[in-house]
Amino acid sequence: MAMSLVVKTTTMLVAPFLVTYGAYLALYGYASPGGGFQAGVILAVSAILLMTAYGPKQVKRHFSIGEVRFIEGFSGLFLTVLAFAGLVFGAFFLNFMRPYLPGGTVVLFNVGVALKVAAAFILTFYLLSRWVDRD
Amino acid sequence: MKRLLAVLTVGALLMTLLGLDYSKTVGGSYVYYVTHWRDVGVPNLVTAILADWRAYDSLGEVAILFAAITGFSLILEGKGRWR
Repeated sequence: MAMSLVVKTTTMLVAPFLVTYGAYLALYGYASPGGGFQAGVILAVSAILLMTAYGPKQVKRHFSIGEVRFIEGFSGLFLTVLAFAGLVFGAFFLNFMRPYLPGGTVVLFNVGVALKVAAAFILTFYLLSRWVDRD
Repeated sequence: MKRLLAVLTVGALLMTLLGLDYSKTVGGSYVYYVTHWRDVGVPNLVTAILADWRAYDSLGEVAILFAAITGFSLILEGKGRWR
């Protein structure tokens, strides 16, 4: 389901800026409006945009389904470990990184949630794109 | 008949929602959040509540996404006749 040249060129120009904006929201979301979920959705949109413009097969060649699945599982594990690491220091979800990092675990948590959400949405689109007959 | 039933249900729900008390309560968690949010060390009240005090809410959200992906993989993956 590849689209016309205009759509392809526009998508190619827009997608890197979407990735940059998603990374900004994830890393700086502790101080400004933003956060993990929004950043993850924007990261996922950059890949989904490429998928609708170029077709799922060409995108799958660059981000293979195994890599996306690995990021998804690994970030989920990372968040759980981060939540239970606070238990070692005294409380569930304790912000134990505050002296070493501005924002402490909030930044790490935002980055983890962003990766998790982005990988989950891209994986959903990968699995659903098998039903598309034309490519 | 179906339409009448739907209208009655929506009307009852609307009346219930309109009759709720939305006035701000004094005291409780609201006062605690406003007076203590600088202890978190995050320069943003919304982030202080969402990502520090209620971070386990996000952990639940992550668990939901993981469950959804597991279901998708179980149902849609594999060598079915649709591939």
